[in-house]
Amino acid sequence: MAPEKALKRKAPTTVSDFTILPLTLPALPGLPASHTFTQHYLYIKPHEPSAYSATADRSLFLANIPIDASESSLRALFASQLGGARVESVEFDSSVPAAPLHKRWKAERRDDDEEQRGKKRKRNDVDVVAEGVVEDGESALPSLWASEVRRSGSAAVVVFVDKRSARGALKEIQAAAKSGRTVGWSAGSGLGVERYKSHITLTHPSTSALQSSINAYLSQFNSLETHRAKLMKHARTVPDEDGFVTVTRGGRAGPARLEEAEKKKAELEERRKNNGVKDDFYRFQNREKRKEAEVNLRKRFEEDRRRVERMRERRGRVKPEA
Amino acid sequence: MPPPATKRRKLEQSEDESEGSFADFGEVDSAGSEAAEEVNGDDSDVSMDGPVDAEDVSNDEDAEESIAQRNKKNTPAAAATPAQKAPKRPAATLQDGAYTSESFKSNMFKLQVDELLEQVKPKYGKKEAPAENAMRTLKTIMESMPSRDALPISEAEKALKSAGIVVPFPSPRPPKDAKYKLAFERPSSINATGSYPLKMATKSDDGIVIDLVVTMPKALFQDKDYLNHRYFYKRAYYLACLAAGIKAEKKHKFELSFEKWHGNQLQPILVVRPNGDGDADDFSGSKARINIIPALPENTFAPNKLLPTSNAVRPKGGDEDEAAGKTLPPTPFYNSAVQSDANITAYLKLLYATATKADAFKDACILGRIWLKQRGFGSQLRKGGFGNFEWAALVALLLQPNQTTGAQPLSPGYSSYQLFKATLQFLARHDLSKKAVVLQAHNITISKGDTTPVFFDGPRGQNVLFKMTQWSYACLRQEAKATVEMLSDTVFDQFDSTFILKTEILKLKYDATLEIPLSALSLDPASDEYDQQLNGACRKLYETLSRALTDRVTSISFTMPAEEHWSITAKRPHEKQRRCILVNFATDPANANRTVDHGPAAENKQEAAVFRRFWGEKSELRRFKDGSITESVVWSPKDVSVIEQIVRYILQYHKIVQEPEQLNFSGDAFAHLISAGRVQGASGVAPFLPIMNAFATMEKDIRALEDLPLQLRSIRAADAQLRYASAEPPTPGHAPASVVLQFEGSGRWPDDLCAIQRTKIAFLLRIADLLTETESEYTSRVGLENPSQPASNQAFLDLTSATGFTFRIRIYHDREVTLFERQLKDKTLDAPSRESAAASLALYKREFVHAPLHSQVLQTLCTRFPALSPSIRLTKRWFSAHLLAPHFSPELIELLVVRTFLQPYPFAAPSTSTTGFLRTLAWIGRWDWRFTPLIVDFSSTFSANPADLEDAGKQKGMQASDLERLTTRFEAWRRIDPAMNRVVLFAATNLDEEGTTWTDKAKPEKVVASRLTALAKAASSAIRADEDALLRRINGSKDTDAALRPESLFTPSTSEYDVTISINSKYTAKASGKRKSTGQTFKNLEIQHATRITPATPALPALFAQDLLDVYGDSVLWFWDPEALDKIVGLWNPLTTGQRSWKVKPGWNSVPVKVKVSEEEKAKGKDVEIRVNKEAIVNEIRRLGGELIKSIEVKEV
Repeated sequence: MAPEKALKRKAPTTVSDFTILPLTLPALPGLPASHTFTQHYLYIKPHEPSAYSATADRSLFLANIPIDASESSLRALFASQLGGARVESVEFDSSVPAAPLHKRWKAERRDDDEEQRGKKRKRNDVDVVAEGVVEDGESALPSLWASEVRRSGSAAVVVFVDKRSARGALKEIQAAAKSGRTVGWSAGSGLGVERYKSHITLTHPSTSALQSSINAYLSQFNSLETHRAKLMKHARTVPDEDGFVTVTRGGRAGPARLEEAEKKKAELEERRKNNGVKDDFYRFQNREKRKEAEVNLRKRFEEDRRRVERMRERRGRVKPEA
Repeated sequence: MPPPATKRRKLEQSEDESEGSFADFGEVDSAGSEAAEEVNGDDSDVSMDGPVDAEDVSNDEDAEESIAQRNKKNTPAAAATPAQKAPKRPAATLQDGAYTSESFKSNMFKLQVDELLEQVKPKYGKKEAPAENAMRTLKTIMESMPSRDALPISEAEKALKSAGIVVPFPSPRPPKDAKYKLAFERPSSINATGSYPLKMATKSDDGIVIDLVVTMPKALFQDKDYLNHRYFYKRAYYLACLAAGIKAEKKHKFELSFEKWHGNQLQPILVVRPNGDGDADDFSGSKARINIIPALPENTFAPNKLLPTSNAVRPKGGDEDEAAGKTLPPTPFYNSAVQSDANITAYLKLLYATATKADAFKDACILGRIWLKQRGFGSQLRKGGFGNFEWAALVALLLQPNQTTGAQPLSPGYSSYQLFKATLQFLARHDLSKKAVVLQAHNITISKGDTTPVFFDGPRGQNVLFKMTQWSYACLRQEAKATVEMLSDTVFDQFDSTFILKTEILKLKYDATLEIPLSALSLDPASDEYDQQLNGACRKLYETLSRALTDRVTSISFTMPAEEHWSITAKRPHEKQRRCILVNFATDPANANRTVDHGPAAENKQEAAVFRRFWGEKSELRRFKDGSITESVVWSPKDVSVIEQIVRYILQYHKIVQEPEQLNFSGDAFAHLISAGRVQGASGVAPFLPIMNAFATMEKDIRALEDLPLQLRSIRAADAQLRYASAEPPTPGHAPASVVLQFEGSGRWPDDLCAIQRTKIAFLLRIADLLTETESEYTSRVGLENPSQPASNQAFLDLTSATGFTFRIRIYHDREVTLFERQLKDKTLDAPSRESAAASLALYKREFVHAPLHSQVLQTLCTRFPALSPSIRLTKRWFSAHLLAPHFSPELIELLVVRTFLQPYPFAAPSTSTTGFLRTLAWIGRWDWRFTPLIVDFSSTFSANPADLEDAGKQKGMQASDLERLTTRFEAWRRIDPAMNRVVLFAATNLDEEGTTWTDKAKPEKVVASRLTALAKAASSAIRADEDALLRRINGSKDTDAALRPESLFTPSTSEYDVTISINSKYTAKASGKRKSTGQTFKNLEIQHATRITPATPALPALFAQDLLDVYGDSVLWFWDPEALDKIVGLWNPLTTGQRSWKVKPGWNSVPVKVKVSEEEKAKGKDVEIRVNKEAIVNEIRRLGGELIKSIEVKEV
């Protein structure tokens, strides 16, 4: 392990515009001897989102966070070991299990939402997702896990209380990285047996909790459904900048069910088949049919030959098993 | 005028072509007839280059001219037919294709047959030349041997003894007072016969065998020599003289030994092997051996004296009896042996004539040879007495235009495949042991009492099948039937199972094997009658066993120790009594374990007495439920299988075997590895009856609920435990069994996926409510799942019955599929939404559509095939034991086993878990999943059902076009995803044409699939090695390798894994199992417990393992045994975790590494690369697992 350790000591402190911060992991029982001193590497830089965000200038971007990182553990890390910068919130880019995914329409529709985001949220106007509703505390199903873990090698955005703490924290990090000062990472809480036991209990929530969440959800859903219908109606009537009216489901004529339309189509085809000229009426039709059959035969034969050749190529010659 | 000109040219060309091909045939014809002429005229000084060098002759002399002619003729057409001139087999052309559609099974079949024929034929080139040289040398030596004067037997023997040769007299030895004398004269002709000169030989590992026939001069024999072995004594002496002559030759050295010809001790032959010195006579390079066979000139003895009905071995001092006109018992075997010596040349002529008449005859013979070899048949008496010669003679005789077999004569225009199949059909259809076939001989009557088959070739006066026994004939017919059946399969081509696969692997083919040491039969190997006695013992064994086992077995076959050759300087050795006979049984699972055998009714005195005599004290008079009183035999259903009990008892009772403890009975050796692994009674599903009953009750109770908001349409099982396929039969406290519940359609469902899921929860709550109100014995609770996908099913209802069985109910709403599909097509949705819709749709189809359907089919199949359920469970245990189970969906494993049962060829459907399991492994080992899809045709089973046959107009079952469609789909997947990152295994059925239902999203991944193949291959070769050791043992070899322990196939090797996480023993599956069993010590406590049994909660290590999968994605591959859960092992995925250039989100925990790069690169920040931070990950895992983990070991690099 000696050469590897040497390598570790010489570990780089920066990569592109990231500062590399080594975290010393706790020594735990039951691990191989070579694993007593282990380091984890965080990659940190100021947060520069592609789209404008109000909190960007007081946030840091952390890549490769430990899987047991949580808001509280990161808060503690900055508070006790990195100059005491105060963290307002942490946004993780992944979790296990993943956050519920709501189906949404493509960006141009969401732009409208973005504009509305700054305004005061009104239940019926915001977050019109393609299906269902975005649950709030009342309508969400009870959570199955007491705590989240992260996917390996994922990232987080740490938002500090103000610009200064963010800048201070980064400076502290750069100093720590340069000096090689030991920054420790302590194990997250609620892992191991506790995590899984609580999951088993949480899987079966009480009937009343379930019932009330369903009731809340369905009433929210009903009101959103009327709102969605309104939006759709709006889209039907308002022409876009080119003067076209978008075709959407649920027009005046009443929607024809897709299945019905398909059935009708098949029916029509059937009728045409029965009434039209049969395809063995003319002599040329027969001739062409025969020709086609022959071509098909030829093609299939060629295919089979190629198949056998390929078979020979990959498993050698055809030979009886000894 | 150009157009007509081209037309004419075209015509000319085609004419040329056809003429050319005619010339071809002509040449072949002339060469063939010439060869035949040479054979005919063998009274003259026949030269070696007779039939052997038929080709040489034609090449040397007139053929030269014909070749030149052909060349000339072909020149104008040469450009058009370059393939014909190529030295190799001409490439198959379309003409072949159009032509094969009728005369071959399919294009594929034909092309593979062509390939196979080309592969197995010896080249008759450089490699074989030394053997041919040796043959010429031998011929010259034998032709120049001096005659020996006639001497009385003892003097003749002495004379040869001085030359160091012991005459290989057959037993019984010639009497001392024999009045006739033995002599040697120059052979009247020496010829090569057999398959080698006929160009019907096949290459094999044992090398080729060249038969050299030495025809003895007629002058040596008298008319009455056919009697009392006299001919065979003279023959033996003649052979000994030949041996002496070759041995005495100073210039040439060969390795000589005697051997019984086809295992018949009456007909010894001289076997010449290469001396291995590397000199001019050494033909080791040819991998050949030369048999020198003395032959009797034709018409030496009166043919009517040697008919199967006449006697040629008179009892001692029986001259008076003969005079008295007393009919002596016929000696058909002896007679046929004499005739076979006289007919060697006659058959050679017949085969030649047939080969010239029917072009495909030779190829048909080669196909037959391969087929016989793969099934372990041979001309050797001990191998069944049906070998290459018998096959060729049979085909030739069936090709005779006026044959009177009762079957359609074969047409000389048939293709090789047609000849092959028609011959098998003949074998399958006609029972020659019941109704003998006599060709062109009218005065022959075959006695009915004989149980050996008769196919009497009148013109040559010989029963072609005289070497066969009752049991070998039964086996041959069975194999023929099976092959005919599989060749009529219209969907799969079955080429491999017909020709490529070795069928005669005892462990795969048979369900039970009895090993009888020869010593147990107490025969005297030194006795004159040893061979007859052994044969008699075998016959008695066969008759007794087949009578005792009745319909419990479908076939009984014998594997006998092989015959050995012996030195020319020694007496024929006595057989070592250490050797063994193997009796192999294929059982019928429906009857094999029946515990009562009904005999005749008590009133039927005579039959009852016979029955009693057969069964001895085991037979007892019993009264049965239906009022009948019959003799019967009752067996106990204890650990020892019923068949073993019967075999041991009956062999001892009839004193066939003196010491029954010497017998070694083995059968279903792997069954003990799972609980209830043996087929109990007539069904393999008995251990599942409690849960199935509980399921039926639950369905009834739910249907009885009156206040349900919607009418119930169906409740269907969708779980391995409810289709007899879980590794452990479920007992109270088992993991919940999934069930799918469907309501009648209603317009009141919301038209939104998320809202549908919530409505489902409301329904579940309602059912739970109602059930607990009315039927208090159920405990129920609703659980949640899929928190990340709100459009997927969100909840299930766990319902535990009073008996302790738990069912997990999910509601199936058929509108969902339409909604998902609409989302897939909706272009206004963003990409992640559509991806999520696709994933949810796949999950939905799997859970609600395919799983119930699959369960239903499996339920039917498991009751149809009693061994299917235990085979599946054993196979699943194997997957778990090798830590592969998490990577394969249980349905896929089930399909793999079902395939073994529905497409069992070349065997019959397995009847024990062991054969089912081993054949599945053998197939997995052979399965090249990169290029072959797994296709299971469930419909093939239902064809046997008469109800289905009635509406045959509907065309049930898979068609060739269906197969083609599936293959196309498979090939499309391979084109889309050639690296196999998404779909590795493709498994389709006629009900699920998707093919990826159980294997999508790299389940298993390519690495894992490769590991499966490697493991299965290793297991199969271990089985093969064990079999070879067994065969060595029955041949008397002393090195007794310990037999393969079934457990050894289930021992995983974990040395190649990078990370091994040992689970704290407090949390392993075994520990929780133990805790349960301690609670059952007191019966009253157990009853109290039973009232509030809760379903097993998922084991903590399993949840932990699932977390590992979610956290590390594809950067680490995790393996564990879901049944034991004692360790979880991991493998770094080299594809994703190798050192690479810097990236913010590689998807794994990384460590930065400095690398040396140029300054310019450095400026761009390319001096830092990353690789996976193994130490940190191990530390992370330790933190995640907490107390669950005892320790983590890491493989040192």
